[in-house]
Amino acid sequence: MTEKNRSDIHQTNNHPNTLPPGFEAGKADTFRYHSQEAKQNSPAVNFGGRRKTSASMGQSVEKPKDTAHTLRRLLQYLGREKLLLLLLLGAVILVTLTALAAPALQGDGIDLILSGDWHLLGDLLVRLLAVYLVNTLCTLCQTYVSAHLSQRIVRRMRHHLFEKIDCLSIPYLDTHSSGDIMSRMTNDVENISTSISQSLGSLFSGVLTIVGTVAIMFHYCFQLTLITMVTVVITILATRLMSAAMRKVYRKRSQVLGQLNGYSEEMITGYRSIVAYNKQEDVIREFNRASDELTKVSIRAEILGGSMGPMMNCISNVGFVIVSAFGGYFALKGIITVGVISAFIIYAKQFSRPLNEIAQLYGSLQTALAGAERIFELLEQPDEDNSGTLPLEQVRGEITFRNVSFSYVPGSPVLRDFSLTVQPGQKIALVGATGSGKTTVVNLLMRFYTPDSGEILIDGTNIQDIRRDDLRRNTAIVLQDTVLFTDTVENNIRYANPEATRELVELAAQTSNSARFIRHLPQKYQTVLIQAGAHLSQGQRQLLTIARAVLADPRILILDEATSSVDTRTEKNIQDAMIRLMQNRTSLIIAHRLSTIQDADKIVVMEKGQVVEIGSHEELLRKKGSYYTLYMTQFAGEQT
Amino acid sequence: MLKYLKKYWLFCLLAPLFMVGEIAMDLIQPDMMATIVDEGVLKSNMDVVLKEGIRMILLVLFGGLSGVMCGVFANLASQQFGNDLRKDLFAKIMNLSFEQTDQFSTGSLITRLVNDTTQIQQMVTLSVRGVVRSSIMFAGGIFMLYLQSPRFALIAACGLPFILLFVVFFLKKATPMFTAVQQKLDGVNNCVQETLAGARVVKAYVREEHELSRFDAANDALCSTSLRVQALLAFMTPCMNIVLNLCIVTILYVGGCTMRAGEDMTSGQIMAAITYMSMILHGVTFMANIFQTFTRARASVSRVNEALHCGDSLPDGSAKPPEAQGEVELRHVTFAYPGGSQNVLEDISLTIHRGETLGIIGATGSGKSTLVSLIPRFYDAAEGEVLIDGMNVKEYSLKQLRERIAIVMQRAELYSRPIEANIRWGRDNASPWEIKHAARVAQADDFICCTKDGYYTLVTEGGHSLSGGQKQRISIARAILKDAEILIFDDTTNALDLQTESRLYQALEQSCPGTTKIIVAQRIASIRNADRIAVLDGGRIAACGTHEKLLASSAIYRDICDSQQ
Repeated sequence: MTEKNRSDIHQTNNHPNTLPPGFEAGKADTFRYHSQEAKQNSPAVNFGGRRKTSASMGQSVEKPKDTAHTLRRLLQYLGREKLLLLLLLGAVILVTLTALAAPALQGDGIDLILSGDWHLLGDLLVRLLAVYLVNTLCTLCQTYVSAHLSQRIVRRMRHHLFEKIDCLSIPYLDTHSSGDIMSRMTNDVENISTSISQSLGSLFSGVLTIVGTVAIMFHYCFQLTLITMVTVVITILATRLMSAAMRKVYRKRSQVLGQLNGYSEEMITGYRSIVAYNKQEDVIREFNRASDELTKVSIRAEILGGSMGPMMNCISNVGFVIVSAFGGYFALKGIITVGVISAFIIYAKQFSRPLNEIAQLYGSLQTALAGAERIFELLEQPDEDNSGTLPLEQVRGEITFRNVSFSYVPGSPVLRDFSLTVQPGQKIALVGATGSGKTTVVNLLMRFYTPDSGEILIDGTNIQDIRRDDLRRNTAIVLQDTVLFTDTVENNIRYANPEATRELVELAAQTSNSARFIRHLPQKYQTVLIQAGAHLSQGQRQLLTIARAVLADPRILILDEATSSVDTRTEKNIQDAMIRLMQNRTSLIIAHRLSTIQDADKIVVMEKGQVVEIGSHEELLRKKGSYYTLYMTQFAGEQT
Repeated sequence: MLKYLKKYWLFCLLAPLFMVGEIAMDLIQPDMMATIVDEGVLKSNMDVVLKEGIRMILLVLFGGLSGVMCGVFANLASQQFGNDLRKDLFAKIMNLSFEQTDQFSTGSLITRLVNDTTQIQQMVTLSVRGVVRSSIMFAGGIFMLYLQSPRFALIAACGLPFILLFVVFFLKKATPMFTAVQQKLDGVNNCVQETLAGARVVKAYVREEHELSRFDAANDALCSTSLRVQALLAFMTPCMNIVLNLCIVTILYVGGCTMRAGEDMTSGQIMAAITYMSMILHGVTFMANIFQTFTRARASVSRVNEALHCGDSLPDGSAKPPEAQGEVELRHVTFAYPGGSQNVLEDISLTIHRGETLGIIGATGSGKSTLVSLIPRFYDAAEGEVLIDGMNVKEYSLKQLRERIAIVMQRAELYSRPIEANIRWGRDNASPWEIKHAARVAQADDFICCTKDGYYTLVTEGGHSLSGGQKQRISIARAILKDAEILIFDDTTNALDLQTESRLYQALEQSCPGTTKIIVAQRIASIRNADRIAVLDGGRIAACGTHEKLLASSAIYRDICDSQQ
């Protein structure tokens, strides 16, 4: 920019201490977004435009977490694997038993050596070997079964998660970070998997040992057992105390991790503009801040989790001293014999070992639990509305909008009392300034969003009553933001119609004028689009999506700026094919290039969410209204 | 990787030291227990019980404290190590060239950043805490065994090579499998990412089930690969156990034989030997666990390293840049995308002078976007050179080069932050007035002011909260705010209605007359008033001149005009 321009700007800047219009609203929160934490903790901030502030949003943070509920759902997943669980239980029992038997046999062996019964020693060693063998095999079995169990559960969980993602409503997807959703799919699920494969067996054997030991202890002396129970009570109390703090910090960690992942995903996908604006440093700084936050929370979580073990160790030793003291006292009083005490103490020692083990696993279990909470939170999101049941067959293609009003954000309506009737087979064009609500019409017709009031009818039936899949199957849509998948060109075109033959695919490519560039791709139709078509030009991507719609062969065709990046000559070339395609179909076209829509049966001019003019090209030109002005700008553009 | 740990050497040293404290307590404690039982309880000596008991509790407390401190230092080291690694990797990703990002795929980069770094970090935690612990148990066990009887140590020594063999065998087999697991994880991530990004299309074509089956395939592949590794490693610990258990049996046998032969050996020694053997067993099992994590982490390490150390495909220049003028010159430039069979640009020569407005028009796929992406050096020309202000772009430092250019991408990339911040992205120190001015030139001010929070309205991820035209105008405002010498629009006004568009170009001409402007467009109206218009056809410049001149001389241009009447 030249000096002149700079001063130009400064002249505009004539109120250095005041703020220009549009800046008043959030003056105080200017830097709100700078703090990752603040941004994420206030999901109720007002989102403009398309953001529908759904009630479910704010809850995700505030909602009191119901651990029992999470556990119940987790157990449901486990419950489905009864056979594997039984196997695991069996293996664990055998491992525990053999683990207990081995020391006893070793002791016997030493006794034999002492007593000099050499001939029996060989026998015993064989038995000991057998016990070891069983132990080894069962350990193998235990690990193996745990691995199977965890992978099966994880697979099912991921499957359910994806199923849910498939069914989430567009408003939800529009307002939630996809990186965070992905983080649930991988990190949180992974944590559960690790917990199941590594902790479940130990948990089983721990509980088993505790129950067994307590039973034996009761058998020896119930008074002392009751005193031992004091230890248990202290343990439970301590665990409770710790777990409240731990759960908070583990949950926080999962959440912060999700945020970091969300941020990474957004920045890595949108990295071209970052590079173009030399913003790497800023973005990296922001990432570092989030990463530091995660590290801080993680350290806190791990230290808390790691202190569980030593703490339990202390408690169990305190318990041991108590038992010893009382045992000695009881022996003095003659309540129990010395032999009972010595046996009892051995068991009291054994009692503390599994307790310690469980404490060690506590952190991992908490991590899994925090992950499970996030997973179930997503799984419990409501599905996209699928209430309609009427089948849609033999569509004529009459579309009626009756007094439809809609707003993404309550209070700023995008469509106001919008009414429009499209006769079967008609070609309707929607024109108007950007932001006048054209795309919203499409969003509502496809049932991506639901109108606040009024109704939309197809062939006289409210679309809310029609089976959703039928509605969409009969409607093909081409969007301005092209969506291609990492798959072959052929499969991308075939997307709407998987059964289509190769001939039909090629025909569709021909019709959409994409055949020419496909021929130049390395593997033609079998070329796999890397990064979902990163090396194709935007225009080529649009042509492919048009080919897809052609092959879909719908009753209702919607083109939302479908050819905005296609050059006009190519567009002209497709035009004839398009006209053929639109014959006998109802089509709804949104375009800024008026040349493409002049032959429409009806042109609907929209302004601020309302219809201001309807008519054919000629009618509207004669009327000299909004359309005329629009057209003349373009016309003027053409004149020399 | 090690250099990342160096910074935290003190923590790495302290953690094992405290660990030693913990283990020492672990070793002393059984002795004290025995004293309490033998001297106190069994002899009904309450004094001993209480005295020894309190001493033991104090020692255990000390041990526990050491354990906690060990955890604190281990975490300080490993978490900060992980943090540094993650940050460096992210920084590296942000500085990859477009070509490299395409090759890695964004999904894989995200997995590497998020998942692989975590794997590595877990390995470090486990090593710092576990290696010392298991080594002490292992070495201490063998030493004590030797003290009991050299024969026992010999038995253990015979078993050890087998254990080593097992470790090597399993690690060798598992390493490639872990790499495969991470790759399959990429697959799952890619699938989820695509479905999330393309939700509207998936739903519109009722292809939810197809996506689900696609995902299931990726998911099954991941699960079965993970299962294969886990199943393999399930054999590792039992295999080692059996060797050590055999050693125990042998000790019993040899011990028995020795005693029978009347040599110097007591039953206590045998008993102790068995205890120490179990200790070695524990150490080895723990070690096996560490090895397992190591193997898994090794796959992650190589994946992270691959991204971290991939060469600069766009080496930074270091020449002192000439004074910024805004002149762009392409000399015989030819370009093909890596892996592409065809040249996208062929022998392009073009000079754009300071303050000039150049329009670029041409068929879909004729190379318009590619041409402009060579100017900020998103890609390097295969042949020929691109010069800015007379100097080859390769000689500039990328930062200085890109400071001179404001480019608006074809697909408007906005970020989840307020509109104001999205525009400010162009120039950090801009005042609200300057932001508003840029928005006004971009014709965005009106609609921004209409929203409830004005400039502080939050944009949702990917800009879903805005219409196509609104996104374009915000990204244009961002470029205008940047105030660079060269302004490039890569077909960025196609979602605007014509009135708005022509107002935009008028305002642009007025507010930055000295800026060199390169405008790629489809509509003649967008570029009709440009100083010169280049017509691209099949990667070559078919014609170049003013609108009038081209109408008279270029058939292709006339054709384009006709198609828009």
